[in-house]
Amino acid sequence: MGGFLDYSPGDSFLHRLNPLAKIFLSLMLCVSCFVTDSSVFCLMIILLNIAMAAVAGISSRALAMLRTLIKFCAFLFLIQIFFIKEGSILLSLPFNIYVTDKGFMFSLMMVLRLIGATLPLALMLSITKMNDLSNVLVGRMGIPYKYAFSLTTAIRFIPVFTAEMAGIIEAQTARGVAFDTKNIFKKIGLIFPLCVPLLITSVRKIEGAAISAELRGFNCRKRESGYKSYPFRTADIGVSIFALTLAAAGAFVPF
Amino acid sequence: MIRFDNVSYSTNGIKIINDVSFELKKGDFTALIGANGAGKSTLARLCNGLLKPCRGAVNVGGFDTALVRTSRIAKFTGFLFQNPDRQICKNRVRDEIRFSLECVMEDRAEIEMRCERTLKEFSLDGERDPFSMSRGERQRLVLASILATEPELLLLDEPTTGLDYRECMHIMECISSINRKGATVLMISHDMEIVQDFAREVMVLNDGELLAHGSTKVIIRNEPLLASASLLPPQITELALRLGEGYENVVTVDDMVSAVKKKRGGAE
Repeated sequence: MGGFLDYSPGDSFLHRLNPLAKIFLSLMLCVSCFVTDSSVFCLMIILLNIAMAAVAGISSRALAMLRTLIKFCAFLFLIQIFFIKEGSILLSLPFNIYVTDKGFMFSLMMVLRLIGATLPLALMLSITKMNDLSNVLVGRMGIPYKYAFSLTTAIRFIPVFTAEMAGIIEAQTARGVAFDTKNIFKKIGLIFPLCVPLLITSVRKIEGAAISAELRGFNCRKRESGYKSYPFRTADIGVSIFALTLAAAGAFVPF
Repeated sequence: MIRFDNVSYSTNGIKIINDVSFELKKGDFTALIGANGAGKSTLARLCNGLLKPCRGAVNVGGFDTALVRTSRIAKFTGFLFQNPDRQICKNRVRDEIRFSLECVMEDRAEIEMRCERTLKEFSLDGERDPFSMSRGERQRLVLASILATEPELLLLDEPTTGLDYRECMHIMECISSINRKGATVLMISHDMEIVQDFAREVMVLNDGELLAHGSTKVIIRNEPLLASASLLPPQITELALRLGEGYENVVTVDDMVSAVKKKRGGAE
C-alpha cells in the first residue's frame, strides 16, 4: 500500500473525471470548510471526503490519513484551547489556566477546517496521474509547462522524500541513535541532525531529475506538445455544479 | 551470536520471511545470497531489531529483539546499508566517526583515541566534507565509523555494490580483519566471487525460505541449488565443475592452477 499522495490506479467515477473537475471539486471542498461557521457542516465535508475515497476504492488509505491528521490536530487543539481567554469559562485548571466556550469552539473549528481542507487535496492527488494534472494545467489552463512541471514534481517528490527520511531514521537507529525512545521531545531533538543527509539526498535527486529532463528536451515542450485531450463531459459539469453549490451552502448554512 | 527460531515476517499481507531457523556462532563469516526480492535485506533488518518478527523469535547477543530496543542492540551491532548517504549526517569526516562512537560510548578520551586511530587505519582526511567524497570513499567512511565502535556483530547489506575492484578489496580486507579479531559477520552479496573469497559459510534464501545453510565450498558447487535462487557459481567453480574429475576441490584460481599442473604432470 502506497502513501496517500501516491497515485492509486482505478476506474471509478471519480478516477474518470476530468482532472480540472477534480481540482475544482477539491478546491471547492476546501473553500466550503473555510467559509462556513458551522462545525456540523465541516464534519459533513469530512464524511463526504471519506465517502468519496470509498467510491475511489481508497477508503483504507483515507482512514489512515484521517487517523494521522486527528493525532496532529489533537496536539494543535490542546495548544490552541489554552491560549484563547475570551468567553465564559467552561473548565478551570490550576495555575490560572482555563478553557472558555469561545476558545473551545475556535479550536474545534480550526482542526475541523484543517482536516476538511487537507483530505480533498490528498484525495484529488491520489486519483489523478501527475502527467494528467500537468497536461491539463498546461493545455486547458494555459500555465507555462515549466511551472506546471515544477508543481507536479514537487508533489511527486513528497512520498519520495518521506521514504528517504524513513530510510535515514532507520540507518541512524541501526547505529545507535535512540529514535526508538518513548520521549517525544528527545525524538524531535534527534531529528534535526538528519536534515543534513535528507537535504543532500534531495538536492542530488532534484539535480538528477533536472539533468534527465533537460536530456529529454524539456525546454522544447510547448502548450501544443501534449497529445492527450481532456474533454469536459456532462459528469464533469455536474460535479463542478455540485462543488459550487456545496461552497455556497457552506456560507449560508444555518446550523 | 544470532539465533532465528521459526521466524516469519509479513508486511501488508505479503509474507517476506517464512519460517526461517538458523544459528550463527561468534566469529562466523556468513554470506546471505539469493535473488532480488528473496527477503535478504528484511532478514538482515530482523537481525538487529529494525524489524520485529511476526512469528518466532530472533535472539541476538542474548537479547530477544522483540523485547529490546534497536538502539540497545546497536551498542554491539554494526549495520552497513547499501546507500552510505543515509548513514552520513555530519559535515566533517572526523565528526562523523566521533558521532558513531558517541552513540555507543561516553568516555571522551576513549572516543577521541578511537576516532584518531580509525582515521589513520582507513587513511581518511578528518577535515574533509563527506559529501564531497566519491561513493567508494563514502562507503569506506561509513564502514570506518561502524568499525570504530568495534561491533561484535557486523551486518552488511551489499557492501561492495557499485565499487571498483580496488575499493572493493579494501573494504573486504577491513571486514575480514574485524572478523579475524572475533566479530561475527553476516554479509548480503550478489557477487559470488566475493562470497567465495571471503565467506566461510553461505545461506541461500529464496522467496523468504532458507534453502540451504552450509560450507561455502559445498554450496557454491551446488549448481541446481544456486539456480533455484537465480544465481550462478563463480566462474572458476563453473570451470572446475565442467572439467569434472580431478577438479573437485577447486575453489580459487590458485587451486585451479595446482589442479591443472597436477593433471598435466600426471599426463606427462
